[in-house]
Amino acid sequence: MNVFDAMILALRQVWAQKLKSFFTLLGVIVGVMFLISVIAVVEGMNRYVEEDFASSIFGINTITIERVRSRRGGREDARTRRQRSRNPWVKTADAEVLREKVPDIWYMAYNVDRFMPEVRSGENKRKNVRLIGVTDQYLALQGWDVVEGRGLTRIDETRAIRVAVIGDAIAKKLYPDNSPLGQDIRLGPFRYRVVGVLERQGGLIGNIRDASVVIPWGAYQADFSRRRDVVDQIQIRFRTSEAMVAGQGATEEILRARHRLRPGEENDFSIETASEVLDAWNAVKNVLLAAGPGLVAVALVVGGIVIMNIMLMSVLERTREIGVRKALGARRIDITRQFLAESATLSSVGAGLGMAIGIVLAKLVDVATPLPASVPVWSIVLGVTLGMFVGLVFGVYPAIRASRLDPIVALRYE
Amino acid sequence: MMMPPDNAVILTQELKKDYELGAETVHALRGIDMQINKNEFVAIMGPSGSGKSTLLNLIGCLDTPTSGQYWLGGQEVSQLDDNELARIRNRQIGFVFQTFNLLPRTTALHNVELPLIYAGVPARERHERATEALDAVGLADRVTHHPSELSGGERQRVAMARALVNQPSLLLADEPTGNLDSATSEEIMEILVRLHERGETILLVTHERHIAAYSNRLITLKDGRIETDEHHTIGVPIA
Ligand SMILES: Nc1ncnc2c1ncn2[C@@H]1O[C@H](COP(=O)(O)OP(=O)(O)OP(=O)(O)O)[C@@H](O)[C@H]1O
Ligand SMILES: [Mg+2]
Repeated sequence: MNVFDAMILALRQVWAQKLKSFFTLLGVIVGVMFLISVIAVVEGMNRYVEEDFASSIFGINTITIERVRSRRGGREDARTRRQRSRNPWVKTADAEVLREKVPDIWYMAYNVDRFMPEVRSGENKRKNVRLIGVTDQYLALQGWDVVEGRGLTRIDETRAIRVAVIGDAIAKKLYPDNSPLGQDIRLGPFRYRVVGVLERQGGLIGNIRDASVVIPWGAYQADFSRRRDVVDQIQIRFRTSEAMVAGQGATEEILRARHRLRPGEENDFSIETASEVLDAWNAVKNVLLAAGPGLVAVALVVGGIVIMNIMLMSVLERTREIGVRKALGARRIDITRQFLAESATLSSVGAGLGMAIGIVLAKLVDVATPLPASVPVWSIVLGVTLGMFVGLVFGVYPAIRASRLDPIVALRYE
Repeated sequence: MMMPPDNAVILTQELKKDYELGAETVHALRGIDMQINKNEFVAIMGPSGSGKSTLLNLIGCLDTPTSGQYWLGGQEVSQLDDNELARIRNRQIGFVFQTFNLLPRTTALHNVELPLIYAGVPARERHERATEALDAVGLADRVTHHPSELSGGERQRVAMARALVNQPSLLLADEPTGNLDSATSEEIMEILVRLHERGETILLVTHERHIAAYSNRLITLKDGRIETDEHHTIGVPIA
């Protein structure tokens, strides 16, 4: 018996009884579907974290330098609080030295920000705004896209021009009917000209970006600075993680020297990397990857048992056929192969369906939810292979039962 | 141990078959000695339960004897294993059953191809030979029909094409006309006669004397033993 013939036979049977086949294959369908969609979401998240998310908030291969300050309501005791409040500020001079001395810098920016109770334009106003003074590469480093107008340039910075890029929520609030570009907004006593609008971020953390007004470093220093030359954050991005590690070391050394810290003394500044965010995602991913295979395995085993049952029934129904085939010269191995090919084909059909549904599901997740999803080719290969494997494994027992039938008994079977 | 003469297609010696039915033993065959030579056309008759089918199944290597020897074409087959028996069934024996035993879900052509599939004949040659075999039994225009779309006589002719497609040295037919009316039975018997004339060796089990009359030798069984064994002239009615 040709394996191909057995496959055709199996496909015909699936087609002849579509509904029954569907229920027979439900386990395998669900198993493969689940496998593919979970992998799709994990993959999608992975990519998102590595390409978008990480680069936009903490950024991959990016370090963030801040002064260690005492937090209101923090858990530190009175002594550390006192000590921390004495920590020196990070200054523009520190940042400029780093820019000069740290090797392999790709992007670098620093910023300072403050809360503004409101921003107005004519009659309209928006309350509770974050005002950020930035150097020119800040928007690029954050991954904040400008959808209308332009971003901030070096010229804006050095000439201390009063220009601003505003968040989506502010733009909508101040200019509900017309474009904000070229309009003046009032920040306290100062007028700033809007040159760009940021892409809407939306979601839970959206109001950080959407309610921000970004202005050049120089203008901020001139109009809003409370402590001159103090930097809230320095961000440096490197091209590779090796460069980042080296850069982190260099930064620490340089700042310790500038702050005159003795060996053994704690840093009075912090250097953070994206790895903490990545670690959090990895934890979530590990849970998914640990629970996922279990669920997939359960579905596939249940599916396999159903297939085994169906195959046993099929063997019983076709006892006479088996007798005829044996009378005509089929060996045990021929009969075994026929039924194995059949159960493998059956479960492959299930795997195919599961794959199709899984891909559709992943697409739906991708489109309808903020979760990104992308189906890697290897997951399709894995899914279909697993599906076929289930059919093979659970088809062994029925196939061997069939092959062991006595030809005379089988021929007499009614 | 004896050796079979060259012209013997079948030689059996003290062939016995018992069936265990619970505590009881059924002696289906109690010792059969017979020799059937090339190109004989043998009819086997006997009352129901006398062991005709049992004997045919042993000769067809579908079953193994409880004791005794059986040579098929000079080869002792009572000791062969499963795979070797399958090979003999495939290459040397053609079966025709009372109930046709065609696979229902496939075409006449595919049914006839089955023995060739198990003989490992490549698809194209298989197709050609199966078509020829169907043509030889007058069913050239029925190749794509399913068994359910064929008459009883046509089904039996498909079964005969299938039995013959691998050019076996022995054709075994267990009441091939048992399910057919007399006109259709005649057609089937005419095909057997033609095969016999071409040199085929045929063993035929039947309950009907006029069917047995097509043969040139009649063996009757009773209670698992050979009762009579007579040569006769083809076509002469049997008393
Ligand atoms: N598988 C079996 N198990 C038990 N007894 C069997 C089996 N097959 C046949 N027998 C018995 O062996 C004896 C011979 O049976 P067999 O089928 O050879 O008879 P037969 O001559 O072909 O009869 P019929 O003309 O009715 O077909 C019978 O008594 C039958 O009951
Ligand atoms: Mg019988």
